[in-house]
Amino acid sequence: MELSRIEIITNNSKIEALKNAMGKYGITGMTVSQVLGCGVQFGTQEYEVEQKKEPTLLPKDLVMLVLPTKDVPAFLKFVQEELYTGHIGDGKIFVSAVTNAIRVRTGEDGLDALCQN
Amino acid sequence: MTEKKLGLPSVVATGVGVVVATSCLISLGIGSSAIGMTFIISMVIAIILNILFALSVSELNALMPNLTGGLAQYTLACMGPFISIVVMVGGYLLCNTIVGSAECAMFGNTIASVLPNIPIPGNYYSVALIIILIITNLNGVDVFAKIQNVVTYTLIGSLVIMGVLGFLKLGTGEVVAQPMILSTNFTDITSLCGLAFFLFIGSEYIVPISNRVQNARRNVPLGLIITLVVVFGMETLLVFGFHNYTAWADLGASTTPHILYGTMLLGNFGTIWMALVSICAVTGVINTIISSLAYIADGMAKINLLPKFFMKTNKKGAPYVGILIIGGIMALINATGLSTTSQLSFLILTGVVFWMVAYIVTHLNVLVLRKRLPKAPRTFKVPFGPVLPIIGSIGIVWMIYNISSDPATRLNIYILCGLIFAALTVYSVIWVKKVMKLKLFKPIPLEKVMAMENDLYHVYHNANSGDHIPQLEK
Repeated sequence: MELSRIEIITNNSKIEALKNAMGKYGITGMTVSQVLGCGVQFGTQEYEVEQKKEPTLLPKDLVMLVLPTKDVPAFLKFVQEELYTGHIGDGKIFVSAVTNAIRVRTGEDGLDALCQN
Repeated sequence: MTEKKLGLPSVVATGVGVVVATSCLISLGIGSSAIGMTFIISMVIAIILNILFALSVSELNALMPNLTGGLAQYTLACMGPFISIVVMVGGYLLCNTIVGSAECAMFGNTIASVLPNIPIPGNYYSVALIIILIITNLNGVDVFAKIQNVVTYTLIGSLVIMGVLGFLKLGTGEVVAQPMILSTNFTDITSLCGLAFFLFIGSEYIVPISNRVQNARRNVPLGLIITLVVVFGMETLLVFGFHNYTAWADLGASTTPHILYGTMLLGNFGTIWMALVSICAVTGVINTIISSLAYIADGMAKINLLPKFFMKTNKKGAPYVGILIIGGIMALINATGLSTTSQLSFLILTGVVFWMVAYIVTHLNVLVLRKRLPKAPRTFKVPFGPVLPIIGSIGIVWMIYNISSDPATRLNIYILCGLIFAALTVYSVIWVKKVMKLKLFKPIPLEKVMAMENDLYHVYHNANSGDHIPQLEK
């Protein structure tokens, strides 16, 4: 079965609600990193008058998880609706292919490495 | 954040509170007495159009959530500042201040008629009620929610009980033997759709409080629909009750048909009970109008459609300038006795036309944003593509055409609407060109409208010059 990696970059303030919502959705594993970054606005806040000339790195959270590729469209819709406020800074989602996943303890790979025994 | 969040019961209370007004009870009596039980068909057509409107509002709220101004912001992002100002000032601020004033006058008249031995003019009661509600609203949302829930659920309970008693012929009064239906002529039914529409108008007042609603994504659309269904259920029961206990001719001749029904159903006890229902209705309406219009004015000031002073809040977080101005105007109108004149009733109908135009603009806003942001995530989307908003718009145009069954009255309403539109056009053009310095019909980008909701936006921007405030930057 094909696997995909989903990386979600969003505001720190949304991570707790997103984590809880993903738990209810049925996501069983995720990795969250605190990161610094900026988007096309170079870190300009929505209320500021002029866009920054140089990139300003803002604290964000990066959520990484791996899913069966067939489940990705429904999950993306769910995450978009969960993160959406209509304001600049709602976040970005990146989707990429995963060639394999291995559970170190048992040596299982592919989807088996992501599911409970 | 210490502010309490409003649950679904509070959302429904806000909706029902503003929809069920004393003038609605009177309109229900007028409509029923004209064609009998077939008025329910007019009500069904009206509620369908109102549900379509509620669906469109829900989609806009999903796309632009947690906005204090509601329709003002949606329209600014879709059609630009000119239409936003005309629709919001005409359809909401002006129209509802007049409707609210008339409601208060009806309340004063009702109390004066129930207490004939006390030599106090009706407008004294009206002004006292307005002052009390201004004070409670100045104390913030918690007091507002407490009053709204108690008042509205007393109102719903009373009307349901009195409706069921009338429907099942359980009243103490004499049951009237009369035909159920006075007319099955479709033209008669449709000519009363404009009147029936007024029975359900105003549920969108839920939107400005959406940022204080728990789980707004679910509770706002659900609250809108539940509000309309609850109101329809109550009013249908009352129409059956009217048939069983009040002669159609007497109902049509009465200036206070709801009080007549109470009297015929339960005698003096019914008179007093229905008077209490009137108090609940008017309290709910005026409380919601003062609070919601103040928040709408606050939201409009945030997007520069009104002067900045409407954004000022007191220690309780209440937009006190809007509360004082709107409540003050209503008190002034009642104090002068202006709201008891027949001309004011005519003005209400005119205001309702502007209100209906605001509903059409809302449907069009949905279509504009579908075209402009087809892929934006919507937690609620009106089903069947553009079909329902289009049907809703056409239906409301048809309602405006049927605003009055009398052609002369209808023509006069259209003429007055034209004059008000001309006055609003002058104000809007001057405000947009001189103060906002924007093009009249150029929409403001959605993300900018959303950013304007942020209080810091106004710290960083000078509305008149667009100047930066560099000392606040790091």
